[in-house]
Amino acid sequence: MTAFGENLSAFYAVIRRDFHVFLSYRTRLVSQILTSVFSLTLFYYVSRLIRVEGFTTPDRYFGFVVVGIALVGVLYSCFAVSETIRQELVAGTFERLLLSPFGGVRGAVATAIFPLTYAFALSSITLGLGVVIFGLELHWSTVPLALPALFLALLAFLPFGLIFTALTIATKQANVGASWIIALLSIVGGLYFPIALLPGWAQFAAEVQPFTPATELLRHLLVDAPMETSVGLALVKIVGFAEILVPLSLYALYRAIRLGQRRGTIIEY
Amino acid sequence: MSGVLTEADFEFELPAARRAEPMPLSLRGVSKAWDKGRVPVLNRVDLDIDVGDRVRIAGRNGVGKTTLMRIAAGLIDPDRGQATVWGTSAVEHPERYQRLVSFLPAGDRGLYARLSVRRQLDFWARIAMVPRRQVAARVEEAIEIFDLRELADRRVDRMSMGQRQRLRIAMTFMPHPDVVLLDEPLTSLDGEGAEILFGAIERLLDKGGALLWCSPAGEHLEYEFDRTYMLVEGRLVRA
Repeated sequence: MTAFGENLSAFYAVIRRDFHVFLSYRTRLVSQILTSVFSLTLFYYVSRLIRVEGFTTPDRYFGFVVVGIALVGVLYSCFAVSETIRQELVAGTFERLLLSPFGGVRGAVATAIFPLTYAFALSSITLGLGVVIFGLELHWSTVPLALPALFLALLAFLPFGLIFTALTIATKQANVGASWIIALLSIVGGLYFPIALLPGWAQFAAEVQPFTPATELLRHLLVDAPMETSVGLALVKIVGFAEILVPLSLYALYRAIRLGQRRGTIIEY
Repeated sequence: MSGVLTEADFEFELPAARRAEPMPLSLRGVSKAWDKGRVPVLNRVDLDIDVGDRVRIAGRNGVGKTTLMRIAAGLIDPDRGQATVWGTSAVEHPERYQRLVSFLPAGDRGLYARLSVRRQLDFWARIAMVPRRQVAARVEEAIEIFDLRELADRRVDRMSMGQRQRLRIAMTFMPHPDVVLLDEPLTSLDGEGAEILFGAIERLLDKGGALLWCSPAGEHLEYEFDRTYMLVEGRLVRA
């Protein structure tokens, strides 16, 4: 048995654990789908009011915002890992991860996989409901390309969640400021409106995080929205952010755990 | 054929770490203070536990027994000194260390409330890096040995405290560690559960393992230890 096989088995165990815990809450999926339907309904009727430059028809804005709604769920799931780890600290199960050869860093990364996969599924359902109920027009020829693009985007988003997990381990507080970050990224990432509407200084903020190019690229691939930059440049930005942020976040997580072990506070919650 | 014997000429094989260092568990000069400038809770503690040893540490509440166990388990670092298992340092090689040692923390935490016993064991076996092909067999073995058959498909939050403790003990022994550290293992256990635990310890020792047991002073124990130490003012004193 190779180390790779053992690691694969451990990652699988964490994903399966989260899947079974999820299944044990029987109404969760239904309630989340209903939330998506309510959001879609709200923005469908808001979009009926939109007839401005950039959105020639209400349907153009609806397509624009549905992708934003789908992505905000993915963004939330990236930050969800820190809340899960906080619960694990309280339950003493994070201690179990630390007492295993798998360890805390890999354990935390593995813990992020199910929520991300689930968020991806829920985003797909949201888009599907948009198509079926509200007549959203997807650009089917490029829709399959959204899958690898979203995977790259997740690699760039996930580090935010891991850095917040490191903060949670260090401070014992869940999601310190995470809701502010999510709100801020929703604004500067152009989730509900084009970033061109923002003042100049805020547009700078739109350039220094991966959410803006990812949103723009996915909109282009899913609903054929025009891009401010080229597809290639958006991809370069996403990959660049991922390359910098993934090792940085893993290091932050490792340091937070080691600091807790050195001080002896890792067992506190 | 050359006259030089190689490892392959022997019927058995010892892990490399065992050949280099004879002690299954060794604590050297371990010190820990919870607040800087205050009296350390552990003060240059030395302890060697050999193959087949059953060692107990006792002491008053809050004297530092659990801190010592956590350091021995590699969960927290000492301020000074080090814990090694077969010469492997808990701080320098945590992954290798955790393959050799297994720790039952005190209390009833560390279980996923909404997972069944079987799923819990399967999860722990994989996290403990039990070879994939052996996972199912180890889970069944643990269910059998720790008498969890009737509870196997029951969720943890629907089990009694004693049943949960039996599951926690099963998880501790399941990876077949060399060294087992038990912090107040009899908590909530009935007589039958205690007998099962003692049986598991004997099997561990028969296979060349070692045991470090920690419980409060004055606890009535129907179990024989090779050595008992009292932890007094940060030092181990032979009882």
